[in-house]
Amino acid sequence: MNDHTYDAIVVGTGISGGWAAKELTQHGLKTLVLDRGRMVKHGEYPTAMLNPWEIPYRNRPTQEDLDRQPVLARTGYANAQVSKHWFVDETEDPYIEIQRFDWIRGYHVGGRSIMWGRQSYRWSDLDFEANARDGIAVDWPIRYKDIAPWYDHVEKFIGVSGNNDHLSQLPDGQFLPAMELNCVEKEFRGKVKDKFDRALIIGRAAHMTGPLTHNESPQRSTCRSRNMCIRGCPFGAYFSSVSSTLPSAEKTGNMTLRANSIVHEIIYDEKLGKATGVRVLDAETGAQTDYFAKVIFLCASTFGSTFVMMNSVSHRFPNGFGNDSGELGHNIMDHQLGIGAGALVEGFEDRYYSGRRPNGFYIPRYRNVGKDKRDYLRGFGYQGGAGRRDWSSLLAQPVLGAELKEQATKPGPWTIGMGGFGEILPYHENQVKLDRTRKDKHGLPLLAFDAGLKENELRMRKDMANDAAEMLEAAGYKDVKAHDSKTGVGLGIHEMGAARMGRDPKTSVLNGWNQVHACKNVYVTDGACMTSAACQNPSLTYMALTARAANHAVEELKRRNI
Amino acid sequence: MNRREALQRAAWLMGGALSAPLTLGALDAYAATPAPDWKPAVLSKQQADLISTVADIMIPRTTTPGAKDVGVTELIDSLLKDVYSKEDRERYLTGLAEFDKAAQTTYGKPFLALDAKRQSTLVHKFHDEAAAAERRLKKSDEDDEDEVPRPFILMTKELTMVGFFCSLPGATQVLQYDAIPGAWHACLPLSEAGNGKTWATEPGIRL
Repeated sequence: MNDHTYDAIVVGTGISGGWAAKELTQHGLKTLVLDRGRMVKHGEYPTAMLNPWEIPYRNRPTQEDLDRQPVLARTGYANAQVSKHWFVDETEDPYIEIQRFDWIRGYHVGGRSIMWGRQSYRWSDLDFEANARDGIAVDWPIRYKDIAPWYDHVEKFIGVSGNNDHLSQLPDGQFLPAMELNCVEKEFRGKVKDKFDRALIIGRAAHMTGPLTHNESPQRSTCRSRNMCIRGCPFGAYFSSVSSTLPSAEKTGNMTLRANSIVHEIIYDEKLGKATGVRVLDAETGAQTDYFAKVIFLCASTFGSTFVMMNSVSHRFPNGFGNDSGELGHNIMDHQLGIGAGALVEGFEDRYYSGRRPNGFYIPRYRNVGKDKRDYLRGFGYQGGAGRRDWSSLLAQPVLGAELKEQATKPGPWTIGMGGFGEILPYHENQVKLDRTRKDKHGLPLLAFDAGLKENELRMRKDMANDAAEMLEAAGYKDVKAHDSKTGVGLGIHEMGAARMGRDPKTSVLNGWNQVHACKNVYVTDGACMTSAACQNPSLTYMALTARAANHAVEELKRRNI
Repeated sequence: MNRREALQRAAWLMGGALSAPLTLGALDAYAATPAPDWKPAVLSKQQADLISTVADIMIPRTTTPGAKDVGVTELIDSLLKDVYSKEDRERYLTGLAEFDKAAQTTYGKPFLALDAKRQSTLVHKFHDEAAAAERRLKKSDEDDEDEVPRPFILMTKELTMVGFFCSLPGATQVLQYDAIPGAWHACLPLSEAGNGKTWATEPGIRL
């Protein structure tokens, strides 16, 4: 084997790529793992230990920061001084917005697994059967029973804290001890149950709240309740590729990890009817190198993988790699958010908390579940939390001087708030295209996004605001305010679709094992593969699908099927 | 709750068990004291002195350090230089000039020439009016996210509070802060939550 030839190539090192790397190398495959961004190793989190008084500009983005990351600024939080370095410089890596599209990217080893929200929920057959039931788009080629063992496998390895809540729409799993709801959240849980018969649970989050059930990750330890996760965790308490899957892959001795390696094309051999490798552009030197392998995993993020496929044009695939169906780039989805309600909670003045819980409560989907029927399809869940206000509420109070200092030491009133995460349906016309007339600094064409919310999403949005306000009012809380802020598709940072799985090669790009229908030695296992969006955070499902696909690839190689 | 609000709420949940930083804070209370040779980048000497005086009326030194001790004016100067847009910077400086002019109109002297009592009276008067206007606005405002420009006096209060309560003495001597709490205790009697004072928060992007 020369140094350009491997058993497997994995493109991307985020949530999905890390899992592909771990599974393939642990099965003995010599694996080249490529990331377009800089190297990051566990522990290399430059802002992780900064105290509030050590953060430049008291954490606010400068005008220059806003010029470099104008899309990131739409999040309202991620371009803070403590986290901006995990996100791309958009002047260096532009894209085109035919409609507003919030593409939030992290180009470095570990990808967005470093900054992810860590909420980890299983999907159920309510989700996997949804398209078939509603006659929307195409049917998922898998059901819950196909993925359930892989959810087990992933949860055990990464560590997910939570309770088994016995909800059909949110299957139970292999959990570490749950974090605790605070006093107000517990009271609210009771009221939501009594008045609406809806569940409110502690979020299921990929944090170690106790020891893992394996010894593979000695570099990880339990959560210290700092809640500074977005900076990277020096304790390895939450799951990321760099703290978890990549070190395991490294330990096998079978991984070659190359940073600064932009994969821009899949090499397809028409005679063999197989992909033979990938074309890589060195982000620093511009040098071009081809790498070869028996099997290729695209895990470059939903639109990263879509880009590679669209940019891989050959005689066999004139419209983009594996795009016989014409669906590549279409059916892009996200979760709609920016809508919910908040309120003031009277009482509990003698109660407080200590530590900073990196998690909140979750109200699983209840709309269009069981007998509930709405004038829209699918549903939404809420994430929220309660806490005591701090000195910031004194801004508008007529208090200054020594009295201001004194009042600031007393915890303010309790407030509670929650925001919805709503399902967006897969629409063929919600799409991303390759604009070959415009190029980035590497000479690669730009992606152009054209996607928006439609009637079903807008109807759902009304419930997302009203239900939140209604539950808070029914709980007896004061000053209930619903809010609805303008949002673009992408702001949920749960982008999905563009190379969907399906049963029929005529209407989908991937089969039920995440293989490209027309080229079985290429697997796509990131968010691009999703056939519908559900309303649960999708990362856990990407991980389970990736582990499942990687084990399938290993078996298929043994059987000489690929 | 959108992600920004989620972040703010997450920020409200910050805190920790009483530990090292408190002692550290006592030893190091004046660590952030402005260097004597500090020169503002945006502000004139006079503007800087006026802001320092206003900030110190808002958060004075008591048994614990105050705004001046932690270098709030230096923070404001750096924010005006790099963080604020040109419009916001100009609005702030125009507001500052109007405030100084009001001193002249009311007392016949610029603000810095007034005695401490009159300075304090003027700051309180401007502040109480602006705070009342802000409360009215909040009440009528259906959308929490509207960012209404604040007058000079409230911007100064906001920045003084951010600067002070996120400073080492502010966070650790006036409030309480624990960099590494170690555990989450969800529901404690107030007196048992560290020393029972408000937990210091990580500064968010905006108040």
